[in-house]
Amino acid sequence: MVSVTIDGHEIQVPEGTNVLEAAKKAGITIPHYCYHPALSVVGQCRVCMVEIDGAPKLATACSTQVRDGMNISTNSERATEARQAVLEFLLANHPLDCPVCDQAGECYLQDYAFDFGLDTTHMVEEKRTYPERERRMLGPHVIQNQNRCIHCTRCIRFTREISETHDLTMKARGNHQYIDTFNGEPYDNPWSACAADVCPVGALTVKEFRFRARVWRLEETRSICPGCSIGCNIMIGHRNGVVYRFMPRENAEINGWWMCDHGRFLAEDLNARDIDRPLIRSGGQLAPATWSDALEELARIIGAGTDARVIASANLSNEALYLAKKLFAEKLGLKMLVPVETGPGRSIKNAHKEWIRSEDPHPNATGARLIGLNVGDASRLQDFLITSSGPVVILDAGAHPLLASQDIIQAIKNQPIVAMANAHTPMTRAADLVFPVASWLEAEGTYTSSTGRVQLAERGAHPSDEAKAAWDILTLMARALGADPGPVTRPQQIFEELAAEVPAFAGMTYRRLSNEPGVPVLEEVAHVG
Amino acid sequence: MEPILLRAEHETNSKALTTSLKLGGYSALKKALIMNPEDIREEVKKSGLRGRGGAGFPTGVKWGFVPQDLPKPKYLICNADESEPGTFKDRKLIHTDPHMLIEGIIISSYAINAHTAYIYIRGEFYEEVQILEQAIAEAYKKHYLGKNILKTGYDLDVYVHRGAGAYICGEETALMESIEGKRGQPRLKPPFPAVVGLFGCPTVINNVETLACVPHIIERGADWFASIGRPRNTGPKLFCVSGHVNRPGVYELPLSVTYREIIEKHCGGVRDGKKLKGFIPGGSSAPVLPASAIDIKADFDSVAEAGSMFGSGALIVLDETTDMVWLLENLLTFYTHESCGQCTPCREGGNWALEIVRRIRRGYGRPEDLETLERISQFASRGMTLCPLGDAFCGPITGVLTHFRGEFEQAIAKAKPLPKKKLPALPVRSGRGTFGM
Amino acid sequence: MSIAHTQPLTMTPPEMLRDVHFDGEMEKKISALLRRYPTKQAALLPVLWLCQERWGWLPASVLQAVAKRLELSPAFVEGVTTFYTMYNTQPTGKYLVQVCTTLSCQLCGASGLTAHLKERLGIDSGETTPDGRFTLLGVQCLGACGEGPVVQINNDYYTNVTVEMLDQILDELPE
Repeated sequence: MVSVTIDGHEIQVPEGTNVLEAAKKAGITIPHYCYHPALSVVGQCRVCMVEIDGAPKLATACSTQVRDGMNISTNSERATEARQAVLEFLLANHPLDCPVCDQAGECYLQDYAFDFGLDTTHMVEEKRTYPERERRMLGPHVIQNQNRCIHCTRCIRFTREISETHDLTMKARGNHQYIDTFNGEPYDNPWSACAADVCPVGALTVKEFRFRARVWRLEETRSICPGCSIGCNIMIGHRNGVVYRFMPRENAEINGWWMCDHGRFLAEDLNARDIDRPLIRSGGQLAPATWSDALEELARIIGAGTDARVIASANLSNEALYLAKKLFAEKLGLKMLVPVETGPGRSIKNAHKEWIRSEDPHPNATGARLIGLNVGDASRLQDFLITSSGPVVILDAGAHPLLASQDIIQAIKNQPIVAMANAHTPMTRAADLVFPVASWLEAEGTYTSSTGRVQLAERGAHPSDEAKAAWDILTLMARALGADPGPVTRPQQIFEELAAEVPAFAGMTYRRLSNEPGVPVLEEVAHVG
Repeated sequence: MEPILLRAEHETNSKALTTSLKLGGYSALKKALIMNPEDIREEVKKSGLRGRGGAGFPTGVKWGFVPQDLPKPKYLICNADESEPGTFKDRKLIHTDPHMLIEGIIISSYAINAHTAYIYIRGEFYEEVQILEQAIAEAYKKHYLGKNILKTGYDLDVYVHRGAGAYICGEETALMESIEGKRGQPRLKPPFPAVVGLFGCPTVINNVETLACVPHIIERGADWFASIGRPRNTGPKLFCVSGHVNRPGVYELPLSVTYREIIEKHCGGVRDGKKLKGFIPGGSSAPVLPASAIDIKADFDSVAEAGSMFGSGALIVLDETTDMVWLLENLLTFYTHESCGQCTPCREGGNWALEIVRRIRRGYGRPEDLETLERISQFASRGMTLCPLGDAFCGPITGVLTHFRGEFEQAIAKAKPLPKKKLPALPVRSGRGTFGM
Repeated sequence: MSIAHTQPLTMTPPEMLRDVHFDGEMEKKISALLRRYPTKQAALLPVLWLCQERWGWLPASVLQAVAKRLELSPAFVEGVTTFYTMYNTQPTGKYLVQVCTTLSCQLCGASGLTAHLKERLGIDSGETTPDGRFTLLGVQCLGACGEGPVVQINNDYYTNVTVEMLDQILDELPE
């Protein structure tokens, strides 16, 4: 550790820390554009200029490592003027089209110009423009407006150092240089939208989110990506129950600062809801019903002694899976299966620049295994379904693609089918009883990643209409089936019980999960998943 | 002064190895290769030789920064990028005596324990590439290069690496990037090239003329070298004179000769009997000096005292007809065209300054423009930029505004008011050609 | 007395450069270049030069082939190629006439040369005559300031050029 003084605050930081990070630790923001903690330091934007005692010239905070006893000033007259000048340079050719720019609200040029810049400019010249690159699809997800670019090269370094796809480059040079792909080919890689995340201005924006919402009007909820078992940390941007986007949320151990396009663009799926109240088949049609009628119907279908089979989903939270197991397997002695499939390989790089890969498309297959549920593939699922003539309970109709196949539906259509879902699938349309379940945003819960980390997805909105969270539905089901689980009012309670009973979760609490960004590792399960 | 670096200037077939040998070429090499490398470094340090590329850093001291205990290869790079406007001495040296340069490269490589040397030469110098390749081939044949040079056990390979059109590649770290196959963008320093240079290894970069001095220092001794010029500004120097003089060209003179002597005696005075208006003493990035400065000494320290820069020793002479607003536009056009673009003050500031001057010249200047130009030059120089190109375009601004401000004020006084809506279109400047002059 | 000493460039038409590969002779030259450097990437500038000499210009297909040979990404190669002004990503005329526009040459009358060239050839800087013979380009300092004005045609320097000389050179250049 070395001791440095920044604007009069003395702090201790590890050797090798740069001045910019040291200042961050002292609660002081040094504006920066080209610097990004995950990318190589290039010292190009020159906005992070600070004054260091004894140095004749100003220094860039990003590329200067602290030395013991260093006395740094970020707000001396020289440093302030230099920063103002650099911001003025950056704005000289910037179109200043903030009112129509979708980056507004999360634009570092806007923010730093406001906090650190001058309120006037001396510039009266015609601004530099890139007529063919003012608004064009750089690739399937990213839109480029080169006029706004401040040439920080973060996006280029992202493709060189993180995605390793090397698809972006700077072309030409000097004042006319611009970002492009080889031969203008589409910019397309599995993480392409991250280039827009690292863009500090509105030069690269994401097509799917563009102009759908002003960011300052969005609520943000800390969640986990539902796209696969890696468990990338995300921030869900939503408003009035409508989900607008997923953004990666920093987690050094799992996804660094990144997420893949597949996961990111699942956001829109959260709005695709068409089951908002319980449904009971009557006269051949599914008709809306009350919760109490639906639960009564459940009790009727799964009478004592039936050979009901339960399919739980590897997309459900640890809490829901635990409750399901307790109710259906332990109390009622029913057979249960958690079907899983092999998905297309997904990968992400963590903050240590290690790739994390997975072919498991379910966010919680590892949790299901740890809880002691029977996990099986498509052929197991097929056997499981066709070897019984009793009712079938499907907790999450989207749990496995096989559940949407006409062959399976034909095979079991004469058996009573109970499903939990929030959007119709061929299976829900064939079901006799459907419970409306809350969306990913609407329920709190924990998920165990394929690397063995338990992570908490927070709730951002109340379930819409009559929908309820899976744990809530399972609690009601238990009561209806005469297996009262006691007073359960929050998933946290279920997790406490789970942590007490399942060794892999020992010692975990919601508090820990929400406070520790690096989520606890389950040593015991390092071999699982 | 007897010609030293240009001793072969008037020889027929001066490029040939036979000519070089006749004039004493490679005799210093034989002497050097039986010396201890450390003693060579010491001798060069003692000679006071300062880098001839522009920065004037003591060569022996630079060599001393190379850590000799690192188990990595060491590289010597000969900087033949010669790109500062007004400078054309390296081209002259290569044409006159390529073997002197090669001998200097071998001795210098030996002195820093390098076994590979690259000559980075600007892309436009196609003929000079051929000359060097030819000379290198001759040197290999004679065992001045290759394995076990002159049976001393020392190995050295020299390769010519041709640039492809980028002024900035004269900056040493941009040059290394360019050899490594990248865009020629200067690197952040530290680390310095002497420790982490080409391919991440300790590297020394010296200018052509600097390296050409080395055999003479070894042959005739540091004291002899130091006796030319004056203390701290020693040795012969190639002065490149261009612009409004009767006899432009490369002149080999001792450092500390006066500008009056160069212009009036050697170059035959200002062209067409015109009066001297001013001169740029050290390549176009050096602030212009007025005619009244003609009696200062042409060396590193004297020119610095006069508020300019001795640089590469390139003297551009300006007669009384020279329009200083035009001159600034011309030079800013150059530096803007040559900015690598990576850092903000240079990329944005250079272009901005140029646009202001273009506007002033076209009759739309505003009184506050000069202040803005000064502001730009204040914040795009002295460490604000990643490399010295910021200082390079600010030098001309400072020079003209210090000594010829009146011309700008006059142009502004006569100016039309700025049109409310949009400036009339100025000639388009494209990425490549610049004919808008 | 003849003063022009420049041979014409040959531009391979784009339709012949759709699928670029290096034949034995090119491969031999590339291997020799690779021996000069500890990394493949370092051979990029010289290999681009080789290709430009061979095909006259550097379309995307050539850059792709270079990238593959040197194990670099095509985007990187294009970024490098476009940084430097002397790599031609578009075909030029048989004679690339480059007039120095920087200070010392201008002080010695280079602007008269550009004006004359524009008039004689009927094209502006950066343009090629309709017959494909000349491409005109104003360029920055060519490093021969003592012999200004300087005009570089293809690889050759012409120094202390006057309008009369320029006319003579253009007249003498072979077909």
